[in-house]
Amino acid sequence: MGLVAIATAKFLGSFSVFLFLTVLLMVVARRISTSVLLFSLQSAIITAEVFAMGVREKLAAAYVVGALVLLIKVIAIPYAFFRLVDRLKSPRDVKASTTPTQSVFIAGAMIYLSYAAVHSFGQTVHVPEDALAAAVALILTGSFLMVSRKKALMQMLGLLVLENGIFLAALITTFGMPLVIEIGIFFDILVGLLLMGIFTFRIRDTFDHLDVSKLRRLRG
Amino acid sequence: MTTAINVLQALLLILGAPLVTGIVGKIKAAIQRRQGASIWRPYAEIAKLFRKEDLVPPSASWVFRFAPKVLFATAVCAVAFVPVLQPSALLGSRGDFFFLVYLLALGRFFLSLGALDGGSAFGGMGASRDALISTLAEAPFLLGLVAVSIMSAHADIPGIVMWTLQRNVFDISAVHILAFTSLAMVVLAETGRMPVDNPTTHLELTMIHEGMVLEYSGPSLALVEWASAIKLHAMLALLISLFGPWGMASTVSVWGIAAALLLYLAKLTALMILLALVESVVAKLRMYLVPDFLGVASAVSALAVIFTTLVKR
Repeated sequence: MGLVAIATAKFLGSFSVFLFLTVLLMVVARRISTSVLLFSLQSAIITAEVFAMGVREKLAAAYVVGALVLLIKVIAIPYAFFRLVDRLKSPRDVKASTTPTQSVFIAGAMIYLSYAAVHSFGQTVHVPEDALAAAVALILTGSFLMVSRKKALMQMLGLLVLENGIFLAALITTFGMPLVIEIGIFFDILVGLLLMGIFTFRIRDTFDHLDVSKLRRLRG
Repeated sequence: MTTAINVLQALLLILGAPLVTGIVGKIKAAIQRRQGASIWRPYAEIAKLFRKEDLVPPSASWVFRFAPKVLFATAVCAVAFVPVLQPSALLGSRGDFFFLVYLLALGRFFLSLGALDGGSAFGGMGASRDALISTLAEAPFLLGLVAVSIMSAHADIPGIVMWTLQRNVFDISAVHILAFTSLAMVVLAETGRMPVDNPTTHLELTMIHEGMVLEYSGPSLALVEWASAIKLHAMLALLISLFGPWGMASTVSVWGIAAALLLYLAKLTALMILLALVESVVAKLRMYLVPDFLGVASAVSALAVIFTTLVKR
């Protein structure tokens, strides 16, 4: 039993470092489908963290939340994205406004920044520093993805990465929110995704492309 | 006894190298639903080439004959720095990782010279491309190793491995993940693997390594092929020993060494499957996108070095 406790503690701490890797890869990914796969992987890591938290704190609700994350973020959302990419028939590339090397440096600077921001906080409040830094880094890179990608689909993905970060931060600092609120947030995401999906169809039907940088004038 | 095991692991890296190439080819064939050549084919090919005549183009000078021997010698010498079964190596602390990197660079330099000296257009093209790639791959290769060595406060590879061995598997830090990522990308570029160079083609105008060795034949070609196989095996072994050395025999005993050997083979197989998967899934990059690929590797390795200031040791 001692081994399990050590493993979960280490897992919560060091394993979130892998989240940095998914973020860095997502920033250099050239295709939408690669980014979606990476998002799925990222959510899988977060699912594992939720379960580890459940084991450590002996919270039954954590298992329910973990199952929900697994179902919605690892399976349902990526599946919906693949369907959307298929149906929209738009080119597969992400249309980044920065080169891959620039993006990696920016993402790296954000990771560094999040470590620096969390450093003082982590010492006063007893939370795993790596995991909290990963959460802040997810929030920052999620917003960076939204700003630097021109495709409407990638902006949705950026928002989801951002949401992953907020979820992880809540999990690390307060052992997750109450179950009812958690379920509410998941429905929020689903409805939001549905609306954005419809909206991208409308953008494509009206403008014949998904490039947000070309949306300059109002059209009826 | 330690020296005997050091010799054994060096021999394992040198003599096992063609087998690694063969197995990677076999796994790739399996992924592509082909039967594929036997895993022993590289040995047969090297043996066959050693029995053939060495043809030298009339315009070539002594550099052309000399280059494969230097390449092979540097590869064999590099092997003596890589720990496999125990955290020590034949030349272990006689040189640091800078020496290892530039030993490999020396071999590449002479291969490029030989290719230029051969006088064919393909040789010159391959050499110029190879010069570009090795220049760009040098920074991430060095920086990745620098990051790991800062973490362990050792400059020699056995020292770094020894330090990592005393750590827990769960104690991995951001530095190690970043350094591993950049070094894995460097391995693909340095050994001429898929997103950077296609090791299986002689026909495309995109060839790099194959273009350079086009003029070589007989024993010289055998040395070049064997040296690049050794390089691949040594790089994979370096990745294993730097980032996953757990299971190495820290004290010398027969059972410990046997267990270390089995574990090493298991880890090597996992890496080979990963390599074959990457090579089957990823499309070859256009030549002008290779600097982007290596730019990302450089950025990741620079990050790894920066992160050494953040992570608690």
